[in-house]
Amino acid sequence: MSVNVSSSKIEKRHMGLKASRNLSNTAIYILLVAISIIWLIPFVCILLQSFRVESTIQVGYVIPRVWGLNNYKNLLSTDFPKWYLNTFIAAMATAVFQTIIVLCMSYTLSRFRFKLRKPLMRMMLILGMFPGMLTMIILYNVLKDLGLTQANSVPGLILVYIASSGMGYYVSKGFFDTIPKSLDEAARVDGATRFQVLMKIILPLAKPIVIYTILTAFMAPWGDYVFARYISFGTSSGKNVAVGLYDWLNHDQIDKCYTMFCAGGVLVALPVTILFMCLQKYYVEGVTGGAVKG
Amino acid sequence: MACVKLTDVKKVYDNNVTAVHDFNLEIKDKEFVVFVGPSGCGKSTTLRMIAGLEDISGGTIEIDGVVVNDLQPKDRDIAMVFQNYALYPHMTVYDNIAFSLRLQKMAEDEIYQKVTSAAEILGITEYLMRKPRALSGGQRQRVAIGRAMVRNSKVFLMDEPLSNLDAKLRNQMRAEIILLRQKLDTTFVYVTHDQTEAMTLGDRIVIMRDGIIEQVGTPTEVFEMPHNIFVAEFIGAPKMNMLSTKLIKENGKYYVTPFGAKIEVDGKKGEELTAKGVQPQEIFLGVRPEHITLADENSPAAIPCTLEVNEMMGSELHLHVYTEDGTRLIVRIPTINLSHETRDSLVYGKKMYITFSGKVMHFFGKDSNENLIY
Amino acid sequence: MIKFNTLDYLKLSKWDRFCLKIAVFLNLIPARIFALVKKLLILIKNLLLAIYNEAADILVTFINGDWKTRLSYVVMGFGSIARGQILRGALFLLFEIVFILYMILAGGHWLSLITTLGKKGPSTTYDPILDVYTPVYNDNSFKILLYSVLTVFFIIAFIFTWRVNIKQNKIAQKILASGKKLKSSKDDLRSMVDDQFHKTLLALPLTGIIIFTVLPIFFMILVAFTNYDGSHNGFTNSLFTWVGLDNFNTMLSWTANTQGGVQSYSATFGEVLTWTLIWAFFATFTNYFLGMFVAMAINKKGINLKKLWRTILVLTIAIPQFISLLYVGKMFAKNGIINGFLMNMGWIETALPFWEKANWARVTVILINIWIGIPYLMLITTGILMNIPQDLYESARIDGANAWQQYRKITLPYMLFVTGPYLLTSFTGNMNNFNVIFLLTGGAPTNPAASSAAGSVGYTDLLVTWLFKITTGAEAAYNIASVIGILVFVAVAVISLVVYNLLPSIKNEEDFQ
Repeated sequence: MSVNVSSSKIEKRHMGLKASRNLSNTAIYILLVAISIIWLIPFVCILLQSFRVESTIQVGYVIPRVWGLNNYKNLLSTDFPKWYLNTFIAAMATAVFQTIIVLCMSYTLSRFRFKLRKPLMRMMLILGMFPGMLTMIILYNVLKDLGLTQANSVPGLILVYIASSGMGYYVSKGFFDTIPKSLDEAARVDGATRFQVLMKIILPLAKPIVIYTILTAFMAPWGDYVFARYISFGTSSGKNVAVGLYDWLNHDQIDKCYTMFCAGGVLVALPVTILFMCLQKYYVEGVTGGAVKG
Repeated sequence: MACVKLTDVKKVYDNNVTAVHDFNLEIKDKEFVVFVGPSGCGKSTTLRMIAGLEDISGGTIEIDGVVVNDLQPKDRDIAMVFQNYALYPHMTVYDNIAFSLRLQKMAEDEIYQKVTSAAEILGITEYLMRKPRALSGGQRQRVAIGRAMVRNSKVFLMDEPLSNLDAKLRNQMRAEIILLRQKLDTTFVYVTHDQTEAMTLGDRIVIMRDGIIEQVGTPTEVFEMPHNIFVAEFIGAPKMNMLSTKLIKENGKYYVTPFGAKIEVDGKKGEELTAKGVQPQEIFLGVRPEHITLADENSPAAIPCTLEVNEMMGSELHLHVYTEDGTRLIVRIPTINLSHETRDSLVYGKKMYITFSGKVMHFFGKDSNENLIY
Repeated sequence: MIKFNTLDYLKLSKWDRFCLKIAVFLNLIPARIFALVKKLLILIKNLLLAIYNEAADILVTFINGDWKTRLSYVVMGFGSIARGQILRGALFLLFEIVFILYMILAGGHWLSLITTLGKKGPSTTYDPILDVYTPVYNDNSFKILLYSVLTVFFIIAFIFTWRVNIKQNKIAQKILASGKKLKSSKDDLRSMVDDQFHKTLLALPLTGIIIFTVLPIFFMILVAFTNYDGSHNGFTNSLFTWVGLDNFNTMLSWTANTQGGVQSYSATFGEVLTWTLIWAFFATFTNYFLGMFVAMAINKKGINLKKLWRTILVLTIAIPQFISLLYVGKMFAKNGIINGFLMNMGWIETALPFWEKANWARVTVILINIWIGIPYLMLITTGILMNIPQDLYESARIDGANAWQQYRKITLPYMLFVTGPYLLTSFTGNMNNFNVIFLLTGGAPTNPAASSAAGSVGYTDLLVTWLFKITTGAEAAYNIASVIGILVFVAVAVISLVVYNLLPSIKNEEDFQ
């Protein structure tokens, strides 16, 4: 008798477990759908509004009443193509040089044990605590002396982006640390110089983090506002997309340029997003592998 | 010709911890030397200093008469097998083995010759095009050995190569290393924490503790004449029993008196004690488990004790017993001569008598822990 | 103080344990401060000792040196060249020549003006023929300060190189004396890609950091002690010069919070700092916990389409922030889509003041920041969550823990342990999160009481966006900006130092290897 009672109790609880799991899963699905909508809405809105023809001002509705490509056509008559090119060149150059510098730095700090290693890392940690903004004042003046501001802003921007990129060694060092040191040692015993170890052993194994570094380095200039603002100060042709589009949303411009801003935003976001989605795997690996370890 | 000579080699880490103290050793050409000791004894550090993977804090290391202290690993002409194999994960087995040869800019067909013949010796020919992650532990180990083999280097270094394998595979690979050694006919330095490996592989064994060499000798020497208690306990399994007792001398004969029994030190051991003129004193008496036998109750040399654990190992029994004063001893008895009745009677709590011969004892000073005969 | 042993401690109630921990912590503070001071003193002692040893070594090397070595004290690299190490010697010599030329041609001039940062300001000359005044520019304080800093860096580099040069001579002499051969130039080149490879690799990145980060920081620290601002720009209107601690006084004097209806710098600073800390706290922890929550929801057993949910979220990382932030910012505007939607639905009568009222704006930026931050945190925490050994959960379930207890006792401690350093950097990163604030609100709504020199600071302004406003504003108070920059640094450094010492997971970096 008593056996029967307890077994039916267990059954009841078992049913309860299943039901509660179903319930919680349903709740999670509802949540995830809600989250997806919230996360996607701005992008859907910006895309739709970029096709709006009837007015260029901000409006309280989303779906255009008249559809057309006017905003995209109008972009061509502005400095937007120039900004786009500026940003693209800066992004390409930054991707190449910053990756090289970051890899040099992180490989060294991960693999070599030299006297100044720890002080160096500590120094960079401390330097990172100064607001980088301030150094822009002086960099602006120096670059101005060198003629790398205003219309010539692109080389100046590239220089600023890559110059201190060694300080961003954190993530890739974390990744290098996960590659066993005995591989380096085996290669060195096998007759490889340190340089050959880097080229033949470490880099092939560090492919995810190399791609992650290239990707983040490439994406950063597209979103940079501060440095570009300083360096392109006072000219239109020296701006990058961030500064250019930002200015379109100023009080005196917004009514004229709001939909054009949307169109420009779509054009900027598209290539970057496609690239990002293709390389998403590596980005995730980099973020989860390196970012937290430190 | 490739001898390795270490003179006063020292390793001090940045935090002032000394890992190796004045290490002196001359490894002869084509000799197989094993560094053995508990973890943290500095054996791997010493090997890595020979390889050039650790800086040498003091002293010199010579390979073939050339001081190699400041040479990079690649310039020392050494080959090394690592504990975790250290195979390059992005290369096939073939490329792994060929890596060093390619760095030497050897012609591809010559590389092919060398790699395939090495693979054949190791029985890994069919895996040559696989990546390391598709191999089992034993196969990976063979690849690692193959990678070291093709280099024909002066010295072959092995850093605990078998410790990541399971017990069965380990025995098998051990035998293969012995065969390999015959084929390669070069100088070997082998590091392990396992005394069985050391005993079976080494021409000479270097036993280390806390960065100091405790004893250097052939397997027979270190087994039969351990210089101190540490070596005595480290070599041999189960480990040597240590009894705190007295060495006495009566009528020119030495006796030991463990647990009230009186056993004469006869044979060679007695002669050696006499020759050394060892004074009667408090000692630690070392007796290996296999040298203890079951005794008759009435024998004057019989030591009464109680059985605690009986481990049946197949061909032998390991009996864990404790004497009247609580000292724990291990006795190793071959099952072949035991009757069924005796064997069945050996259960928990059984009172029994053991003894051992004076020929197989080791005497260690109470304070020095050093072998009195050595 | 009562001495507890571990078993006594286990008998205490939760509250008592907590109190005890606090007591122990407070009790340790004096000892910690003492230890810190001691550490500092030892550091100073070691530094002095090192300097003494260096000096002694330089002297001894000279006394024991042969003529090649001795001549190298004046002609750098001479010893190396004379001993056949041409490449090394040539580099030393080249560096010395460049240095001397620089000092003669430029460095000396700049250094001589450092005390006053220029003597002659701009003036005008009258041209009677054209009847115009043309400005004449003379000294440039900015350049004087900048190039003086550069020159000092150069001098330090020179002294260092000179010292290396002497050491090289000593070593070379020793090697030759022991009958060995010196490294040839070829060997030197080879070791650059081998045993000295780290120096080769670090040369370029470190040069960049020194010139583009260290030097500017030194410069800006010095600016904090000058009156460099829009009306003393050092060249076209008026020279600037040293003013000692005046700027710090302006910044930190608490005497008058308002003068004639205008807030003092110190009051503004206090307000902005408070908001910055509140912002950093909420921005960090809302993202952290909600991101973790979303990650756990997606990872939950029985949830399908995991990849889809993740991809949707990750999309926000891909799209450049200035687009998404600017756009979302405008969505919340008075005439934006959100208000439009709510009014169309008839849920509200008048537009909600998302950006118009201080507290509305503050909450809105935190909410929008969640939108920005969750995907990133979701990615990070997913990786770590998957690394938690499953058997921990299994054994907890067998021990009878429910889902919340499992989270509280296993997931959270594990996450906090692993992500401790990340949380710290994320907190300081949020303190300096320029993009989110600037692109969303631009600091608005403006604080009407703040002084105009403070660059029309607003209620959502962080210290960094405030800095940006000050330096780009009409009065361009670079000196005040520098002071604020130094204070930001101090705040971040103190927080980091304290937290860093409390974190368990960064005690040993090598543990991960």
